[in-house]
Amino acid sequence: MGRGEGVLRRRFNLTTPSLLGLPLAWLGVFFLLPIAFVALYSFDVYTLYPGAHGFTLAGWRATFHEPIYLRLFWKSVKMSLTVSAIIVLLAYPLAYYLALSGTKRKYILLLLLIAPFLTSYLLRVLAWKVILGDQGVINTFLFWTGVRSPGHPLSQLLYSRFAVMLVLGYIWLPFVALPIFVSLESLDRSLLEAASDLGASRLQAFRRVTLPLSLPGIFAAFLFVFIPTLGEFVTPSLVGGASGYMYGNQIVDLFGTGFPDWETGSVLALFLLVVVAVLTIVFSRFLQPRQVASG
Amino acid sequence: MDTEERRAERRIDRQTLLKWAAAAGGAGVVAGPSGVADAMRALSAAESGRLQVLDWAGYGNDGGQAMFAQYVKAHPNNKPQFTYMTNEADALAKIHAGLKPDLFRPYVGWVKYFATSGLVQPWDTSKISNFKHLNPFMVKAGQYNGKQYGIPEDWGFDAILYRSDTVKPKAKSWGLLYDERYKGKIAWFDDPVENFTIAGLLFGFPDPWNQTDAQLAQSQKFLISKKHLVRTIWASETELDQQFASGDVWIALAWPNDWVQMKAKKLPVVYMHPAVKKQRPIAWVGMFMLLNGTPRPDLAHAYVDAWSSKASAKWLEDNYGYGHANTQARPSSSDLLRVLDLSNPKAVTLPNAYLDRDVPRRALYAKMWEEVKAS
Repeated sequence: MGRGEGVLRRRFNLTTPSLLGLPLAWLGVFFLLPIAFVALYSFDVYTLYPGAHGFTLAGWRATFHEPIYLRLFWKSVKMSLTVSAIIVLLAYPLAYYLALSGTKRKYILLLLLIAPFLTSYLLRVLAWKVILGDQGVINTFLFWTGVRSPGHPLSQLLYSRFAVMLVLGYIWLPFVALPIFVSLESLDRSLLEAASDLGASRLQAFRRVTLPLSLPGIFAAFLFVFIPTLGEFVTPSLVGGASGYMYGNQIVDLFGTGFPDWETGSVLALFLLVVVAVLTIVFSRFLQPRQVASG
Repeated sequence: MDTEERRAERRIDRQTLLKWAAAAGGAGVVAGPSGVADAMRALSAAESGRLQVLDWAGYGNDGGQAMFAQYVKAHPNNKPQFTYMTNEADALAKIHAGLKPDLFRPYVGWVKYFATSGLVQPWDTSKISNFKHLNPFMVKAGQYNGKQYGIPEDWGFDAILYRSDTVKPKAKSWGLLYDERYKGKIAWFDDPVENFTIAGLLFGFPDPWNQTDAQLAQSQKFLISKKHLVRTIWASETELDQQFASGDVWIALAWPNDWVQMKAKKLPVVYMHPAVKKQRPIAWVGMFMLLNGTPRPDLAHAYVDAWSSKASAKWLEDNYGYGHANTQARPSSSDLLRVLDLSNPKAVTLPNAYLDRDVPRRALYAKMWEEVKAS
């Protein structure tokens, strides 16, 4: 028996590294290594231009000496937070209905929720331009009803922060609904029965049982949206105009469209990465259901 | 207006466009069997692979085929392959990041920068049969230290396009881009230098292309204080045309082509050249540049020769509303002739316009512009 166990363990020991090897190599080559390059650019060890250079923190100091970039970062954080919070609130009842109402059509409804993903991202964003423009669907309706005169459209609808947040919310809503749905779906129904047997009202059962147990899903959903939207640049460049400009756009412009300044661009990119990493570590604590339940 | 509209319709019709491209190619073959062209063809036959062109949107296989049809006809095995640049800085970043084009097209203000960068080499103008027809003033603007680093092709202005039914400018001034009355209806151009140059022209600085620290700070403060008026900062022409056509934007820094496009859509538009005091539009001339170490120099020369032909020039003027350095070409529209002042060989310089020029502290201008956008 003991011998057999030893063979098994040895085989297991060989299997693990060979299974993990490829993904780890992938992670190293396509994630960690590029980040290391970006870091070297940010410290001026690598530069885009030929000439003398060496390790310096000047790029970091110069970038954060002026509050302009930090202010832009804060603006992007606020926009992403708002979007994430609002769509979590919107998606929760949706996921709740799908998971717990007991409807037989829940997978069809779920499919409908994901259906927009079958069309191109770009197309969906551009469609919003048609809806939100000064001569768009909403404004035309307002003119028709007489709420606004044709010379004075609601121009805050497009090329504004509002437009960016609206479109981001629309794009990411299904991503938010799915993790919440999964956490509610896997909920042990007997706990709800027990709560009701012990005299809890439906609201109390929701507050004390369902909600705490679905918290990991909520946090996961929140992170699913917050992290990518914080570095978002496509949507703001399409519907954001001058006022919807976000931190991600600045990074893109520093690397590409403006006079290339890869040093500052790398500093901003790394800063974003660090903030996101810290947030992920902090929030990952809440992604463990047991800790939530016992804590 | 009718001819304008018809022209626009034809422009959208891809089949017609392709037919034109073929026709222009045929014309090129008929017009150009000179000894030089034959010799070049024999020479460049030795070079292999597709010609790598780094150019602006609209100048490649996305609508600009007529302008290099002559080249494609002569070198069917070395068809151009395009990478697009949004501006010179973008091209610079792409080249530094490892892109290896054979030729690319910066504008006149960058001639000195690239000529001294070691990235490009001078052209051998004897290999370009149409070179002798190019505007001598623009040819000179493409030189650095007596060598021809840039071959001038397309040219035009940066001026103000506005809707005449809704916008009433107080004067022919750049100030319209900062007019409080039109808050939320203005579009600026995302260029690392030009917004500062325009602010400098507005303030009457002696050299807006080489501002002192104090002047730059003043321009930046001004731009930041006016940014709330701006709806969009456009980076590509299609973006601007769409915003203008949909009525989201009424006033924009724009190129002559945008004026042509908006007129074709029957929008009431005016293309205003600033003229008060020392204010003038800014003129630009596209300059083909040959990369150092290119393996296809002769093909690149043949490509530039095709672009420099009279047929290509006329096509560009008729369809894009830009001027062309080939002085033999004349557009069909008299409106365009007038707006571009095409009969004036020095239309791109004073007293008509400021020819865009080298900016010694380009990186600083760019950094400060990024800060304006981030503010």
